Amino acid sequence: MMNKKDLEHLAELARIDLKAGEEKKLQKDLGAILDYFKELQELDTENVDPMAGGTDLKNVVREDVAGTADNTGKGPEQFPDKQGGFLKVPPVF
Amino acid sequence: MQHLHDLTIKKFHDGLLKKEFSALEITQEFFDWIGKKDSEINAYLSLNKDLAVRQAEETDLKIAKNEPVGMLSGVPLAIKDNMLIEGLPATAASKILKDYTASYDAAVIKRLKNSGAVFLGKTNLDEFAMGSSTENSAFQITKNPHDISRVPGGSSGGSAAAVAAHMAVAALGSDTGGSIRQPAAFCGVVGLKPTYGAVSRFGLIAMASSLDQIGPFAKTVEDAAILFKGLAGQDPMDSTSSPQAGCYGEELLNPKLENIKKLKVGIPEEYFVEGLDKEVAKKVEEAIQAIKSLGLEIKKISLPHTKYALSCYYIIMPAEVSSNLERFDGIRYGTRQKADNLLELYKKDREMGFGSEAKRRILLGTFVLSSGYYDAYYAKAQKVRQLIKKDFYEAFEEVDVILTPVAPTPAFKIGEKANDPLSMYLSDVFTIPVNLAGLPAISIPAKSSGGLPIGFQLIGKKWREQDILGIGQYYEKL
Repeated sequence: MMNKKDLEHLAELARIDLKAGEEKKLQKDLGAILDYFKELQELDTENVDPMAGGTDLKNVVREDVAGTADNTGKGPEQFPDKQGGFLKVPPVF
Repeated sequence: MQHLHDLTIKKFHDGLLKKEFSALEITQEFFDWIGKKDSEINAYLSLNKDLAVRQAEETDLKIAKNEPVGMLSGVPLAIKDNMLIEGLPATAASKILKDYTASYDAAVIKRLKNSGAVFLGKTNLDEFAMGSSTENSAFQITKNPHDISRVPGGSSGGSAAAVAAHMAVAALGSDTGGSIRQPAAFCGVVGLKPTYGAVSRFGLIAMASSLDQIGPFAKTVEDAAILFKGLAGQDPMDSTSSPQAGCYGEELLNPKLENIKKLKVGIPEEYFVEGLDKEVAKKVEEAIQAIKSLGLEIKKISLPHTKYALSCYYIIMPAEVSSNLERFDGIRYGTRQKADNLLELYKKDREMGFGSEAKRRILLGTFVLSSGYYDAYYAKAQKVRQLIKKDFYEAFEEVDVILTPVAPTPAFKIGEKANDPLSMYLSDVFTIPVNLAGLPAISIPAKSSGGLPIGFQLIGKKWREQDILGIGQYYEKL
């Protein structure tokens, strides 16, 4: 069982409000999943290189040439709220 | 309808060339059948009649003018709803993208459009491809066409069910930990997860980027090979797509038996353990014997770190999920709630927009990456991932292909595992290691005379799809 304070801290970091009924189940589920992970501690990984990512490719770059996109201007069509073509959001504070 | 039940890409193409039917007739027949059948199965989230008709007409025009058409021209496909088709909804089965319309084509969609393929519609999935039963969709529950009280598997359950219920000739899915192979096994169709880097993910709504791959669902291994050939290729818009993706040859489609016979097949003891359903064990053993009868050598092998793959995956995947899903905040697209300030808006949008599995994984990922826990969880899992990959590479010094079950059980009942995330996660225990190692693998229905479908999995060396597709094509002919 994950304690309530830890869960609230995670929710704050992840920018998610939790519904009242949700918390109990999450505490229980996350606790059980984290317990399951304990088996990894049996493994000696002292001299193992971490595998970061799925690809063996390194330094993937392309030529720095200008191009044109065929969907220019399509993004703003999806704005949930806008004014004069600008994205509208509530005040920061 | 008489066409649709046994229509494959190959048969469709032959019939089209012989003018037995037009692409438009078949497309319309599919929509008629979907209209009748899908109220029971719920495979599709949205249909695409207008564009599909235009796409089919283009193929028919070429046929009328005696212009050459490719294998995929006019083929009616179903697309998982986490891939973007310009002008159509792309919801990822999440409330937060309920009203989203894609503003560009995914790389795979562009490739398929250039091949002349027809998109019938977008199929249901677990929200953001997170799940093993398609029950986590915010919109509907897809039923298994073989037994509608059971799940079709997941997360690409809609695509698998659409092909199994003859509501598409073939389909696209995405596979992060088994999301193509497990539903293929549950629904009795073929599903291929390609080598990491073989197919561009540009325009796929990302779940866990070091693991995600797009691949085909089909009725036959031959069809899966045809569709895969149409998808593979390097794309500058996905930096993990490899130059080798453009090097697949003819052997993919026309394997030679003399070459296939030389392959050695490894059977890893760690995949045949307690908890494996008796019927699954029996069917997989029959598949081993069938492949042996083709003349291939069968050899026992060991993949010692298999039991740690689930833990390793459920640390790495949520870590990437928590990062990839940061962009869903209702600001630039998606569904927005009302709030007095920006922080409150983020929190409300994400509370209302995400379902419980998405939240669980975001929180879990946030935890394993957070200060004080990073080394014990995330850094440890990256090292374990290396050990799991090494297991496979060492085994591939002795054998060419590895054969395992796809899932520990056949399709389970709707609701059976919905409230117990760990037992749901365990249904991917045989598919997850493949994604961690970046290998290609295919799920093939074991031959059966009734009952629920059961699949077996062939895992290949990196870039050696031709080995697993080749064995599969000869198994199919037995």
